Amino acid sequence: MELIAQSLVIGLTEHAPLVLAAIGFALLYRLTGLINVAYAETITLGAYFGMWANTTFGLDFYTVLIPAAVMAGLVSVVTYLLVFRPAKQRDVGVLELIIISFGLSIFLRHGLQFIFGYPMRFFDVPPPDSFFVLGVGVGSFRLVALASVLVLSLALYLFIQRSRTGLQIRALASDESLAQVSGIRPLAVTILIWFIAGVAGGMAGAFYGVQSSVAPLLGWRQFLFILLVVLVGGTWGLGGVIVIGILTGIALAAMTLSFDQTLYAQLVLIVGFMVILKIRGRRLTETAKV
Amino acid sequence: MLDWLDAFLIFGLFEVVMIIGLGLLLHLELGLARIANFGVVGFWGIGMYAFGVAYIQIDWPFGDPWQFLVCAAIGTVVAGLSGLLVGWLIADLDTDGVLMGTLGFATIVLILATTEDDLTGGARGLGGLRFPYDIGTVKENEFLWLVILSAVVGLILAFVRLVHRSPYGRLLIAMGSNEALARSLGKPTFRAKLLLFGLASAGMGLLGAMYGVMVRFLEVANLGVDITLAAMVGLVLGGTARVWGAVVGVFLTVGLFDIVIQSYLPLPKEWYTQAIPVLREAVFGLTLIMVLLFRPLGILGAMRRDRLMGRIHGR
Repeated sequence: MELIAQSLVIGLTEHAPLVLAAIGFALLYRLTGLINVAYAETITLGAYFGMWANTTFGLDFYTVLIPAAVMAGLVSVVTYLLVFRPAKQRDVGVLELIIISFGLSIFLRHGLQFIFGYPMRFFDVPPPDSFFVLGVGVGSFRLVALASVLVLSLALYLFIQRSRTGLQIRALASDESLAQVSGIRPLAVTILIWFIAGVAGGMAGAFYGVQSSVAPLLGWRQFLFILLVVLVGGTWGLGGVIVIGILTGIALAAMTLSFDQTLYAQLVLIVGFMVILKIRGRRLTETAKV
Repeated sequence: MLDWLDAFLIFGLFEVVMIIGLGLLLHLELGLARIANFGVVGFWGIGMYAFGVAYIQIDWPFGDPWQFLVCAAIGTVVAGLSGLLVGWLIADLDTDGVLMGTLGFATIVLILATTEDDLTGGARGLGGLRFPYDIGTVKENEFLWLVILSAVVGLILAFVRLVHRSPYGRLLIAMGSNEALARSLGKPTFRAKLLLFGLASAGMGLLGAMYGVMVRFLEVANLGVDITLAAMVGLVLGGTARVWGAVVGVFLTVGLFDIVIQSYLPLPKEWYTQAIPVLREAVFGLTLIMVLLFRPLGILGAMRRDRLMGRIHGR
């Protein structure tokens, strides 16, 4: 019983940024059909922007979330305009697009070190307040991360499913030509998708960064799990991604507590997800993404 | 006799030749069958570690060169079997699933190398590897090892050329163009993919084992994305569809950084610790983007048969 309570609390709070990042990644994947490996660096840049705003201007952690998210969103849009849009205009294939995003990921990961420096960086924040939930101590940053995930998930879900712009986004994802003749401006809507995805990734990065440290590999270390969550959960839409993301966090926490070793937990999870994908089989169904 | 060679140059050449080997094997997967293996380092790493663990942890009743040969065979077989397993997992998945499967495998290898420290040395590393011969100085031993590696990569090149001209190679190309069509025509695409992954991964594992001998010390830090990136960027720059693509591309990328810049450019020493390696990776990443945007078939361009067909059909 104690293990279940601990797993629930730690899984939900510590891994909340995973859900946030997965939502942003899923938005891009489902609505543009692109597996963007460089999304890992959107997360990393969110952490760096947050740390920079925090250490340069002395802003507290909650305040830096806004500039970190907005700047990551802007970088996300810039990568679309400079790389992925020209690629699309040149009819670059799915395979090549993934390799391009891999190249962009590597370029950003190493390029940012020339701007922010090589050493690991840290947020300059006082130790977070601690609260007890189901008998487990939780830092305030993690609770804020969980609250942000809940709010952002709900907001995004309502935005995509209920708003007029959300309808335009879904229409664009289904049939771009038809959407265009219906008066939807594809460029504006696509930019909006990239911005929202970047905001979610940037905010996740800031939460990851404040929990430990800010390093070039921060986003890359999470990328595989984000990818797994989205590939498995994405079948059931954004709601599926959120549920699988939450379950992944809880499973990681439970296995880490049981094995006393985070890496074993990750290992079991990776193998588990691979088996699920194998059993389910995704036979050359590019259209299933939208 | 080898005064003109310094240790940096030998090691730089070794890396170039090894990456060419990996690029050639990746060419079979990416260039012919259009399967993007993002986990090259995983197969290379599992071969290196399987070799290293077998060489160090098992008390063999015989010494080198038999000890090396048996352990290298173990590394190659383990990598090949891993390739079969991963190939089976991703055979019916699309590009996204292949990314997940190969990246996931590379992560699993990294995790196992880190956690199983009783066998692998974990973060401390695994030392004690040595050349299977002793012909004199360290430099002479390393040079001979470079020659042996070059011969192995030469064999890989010959094998790749053979595949290009064989029915199996044509099946891979057909799968890369339209797998569903190839399958509907009764071609054994699943078996072809398994064989492809098994063979390519075994070759990558052998190259990993040979790298282990060269460095004599296995570190988990080697299992990052750098190896995969170097092989991929070299192949993409040279031309994914061409046999010589990896050779040309790797010389222009890895050769430029690991030989020209490391050995010949008079740059400040402190640059070599962080600035140059970081710049190297950033340039590699940028190269991937630029080539695929502006010259997707790389320097060497399309396959000869595609150009011939283009001329025949007036394209």
